Amino acid sequence: MTGEGAPVTKPVPVPDAITAPFWEAANRGVLAIQHCGDCDTSIHPPAALCPDCQSPALAFREVSGRGRVYTHTIVRDNVTQGFARDEPYVIGIIELAEQERLLLIANVVGVALEDVRVGMPVRVTFERLTESIALPQFEPDEGD
Amino acid sequence: MVGELSGKAAIVGLGYSKLERRSPRPLAHFAREAAHAAIADAGLRVEDIDGLGTIPNIAAYGNTGDLEGIDIVSVPNMIRMLGRERGIRWHVQTPGLCPDTIIAAAAAVAAGACDYALVWRAVNVPKGRYSDFSRAEARGEHQFRAPYGFTMPAAWQSVALRKYMHDHGSTREDMAAFVVQNRKNTQLNPKAYWHGTPLTVEEYLEAPMVADPFCLYDCDIPVDGCVAVVLASAERARDLAQPPAYLTGYAQTTWPTRGGFTDSEHLWEGAAAMGEKLWASAGLGPGDMDVAMLYDGFSVFLYVWLEGLGFVPRGEAASYIASGATALDGELPLNTSGCSLGEGRLHGMAQVSEAVLQVMGRAEGRQIEGAAHAVATVGAGTLASGGLIFSREARA
Repeated sequence: MTGEGAPVTKPVPVPDAITAPFWEAANRGVLAIQHCGDCDTSIHPPAALCPDCQSPALAFREVSGRGRVYTHTIVRDNVTQGFARDEPYVIGIIELAEQERLLLIANVVGVALEDVRVGMPVRVTFERLTESIALPQFEPDEGD
Repeated sequence: MVGELSGKAAIVGLGYSKLERRSPRPLAHFAREAAHAAIADAGLRVEDIDGLGTIPNIAAYGNTGDLEGIDIVSVPNMIRMLGRERGIRWHVQTPGLCPDTIIAAAAAVAAGACDYALVWRAVNVPKGRYSDFSRAEARGEHQFRAPYGFTMPAAWQSVALRKYMHDHGSTREDMAAFVVQNRKNTQLNPKAYWHGTPLTVEEYLEAPMVADPFCLYDCDIPVDGCVAVVLASAERARDLAQPPAYLTGYAQTTWPTRGGFTDSEHLWEGAAAMGEKLWASAGLGPGDMDVAMLYDGFSVFLYVWLEGLGFVPRGEAASYIASGATALDGELPLNTSGCSLGEGRLHGMAQVSEAVLQVMGRAEGRQIEGAAHAVATVGAGTLASGGLIFSREARA
């Protein structure tokens, strides 16, 4: 636990042998998603083997960072460390533009809670958590 | 072809502890109470029990305790409580949900590994805040959700309801129809935690939101309690105190979730895959069921199971419920005891016990006349879920 007076932080991702490239890219401000070279499927969260064809030929590649809100929830009774109990927030399930049902969890930021809609276009932005970890987050995509 | 196990085993006794919340009594007291009640209900003595099975893990998610006798009640503890150190011939512990344990026990009594198997599920309301996630680090599957505050089961499942409402045009008023009907059924079930507390549509719609679109009443009510059942072979079942509830069909879900609670379509796909196995195992179909006890740990699971098992086409569960078809006097009486939302968070044993009572003809004021087949499902449709069919006769 944290010492007296120290701020209580959100849970910080601990990269592992499978997920390290995702977090390494995010730390550079790049959204990189695992991809199967054998069946041309993108995979998230990263896996040891391709869940579709069981191939081990997996590599990470940069994606556009654009997508849509597949579904979402507004958490109003928060139980996660580092989130203020009286500050509701939106969790979006984001469908990335590159593939149908290629989904990623993120907070939808830069928009009022009540204005988040299923199907809303969003794009990636990064929230720095520690020196080595930046979280991909998503904000409304107004187009270029 | 009907499965080999169909009709070979039955539930022959059922027992409940009292259902309380944040009780000062250790969980072992509840388990002992339910075990003795189930054994007596079957007309058996403790010395007759030679098989034991349970789900030994905590039922809650988060930073909760796992102290034996307080948070969990495992097989070794039950052996001691029953004084059966020398008499148990078969036992099993299945981490997961109760259909796994009941299927294992049914196979054991049918094969003769034991004569009378006691299966129980003891659950408590954990200390502190429910599903508390107080961890500085997010490892493994947590790393893509905990940093986003996505750690609460209600939040994981609420996204499924949001997507359903969007895709199929259903509303919170539609869900209110189910939850209020369910609470009405609960008033006929004296065992239930919410017995004596009716709920109106207005109260549902104005309840505090937990994870929008889930309000408080879309989530089941956590309780301290235990439910136990006794299983026997079909041959032994005929000579006991109660009419047997034969296990005529079963299925376990082997549908993985990909992405850790991101894609709610997996719930429907998993339920449909399980449904195919379930109906095939019994040689029965949805149209043969007189009552259904579908898992309602969260309200949206009703839509998953009604559609996944083929009771209604995809996208039509909300309007089916709103039509009155699932009321006690409807064509498919649903969750007649109030199940998880109304009776309590017993991790599936509320569904199992009410299905059993209905085919035994012992569901009192909620009894569906002549109920011959009842289906119970437990879980969300994905991995660890299961389904059971109980019938008044051993053969359909």
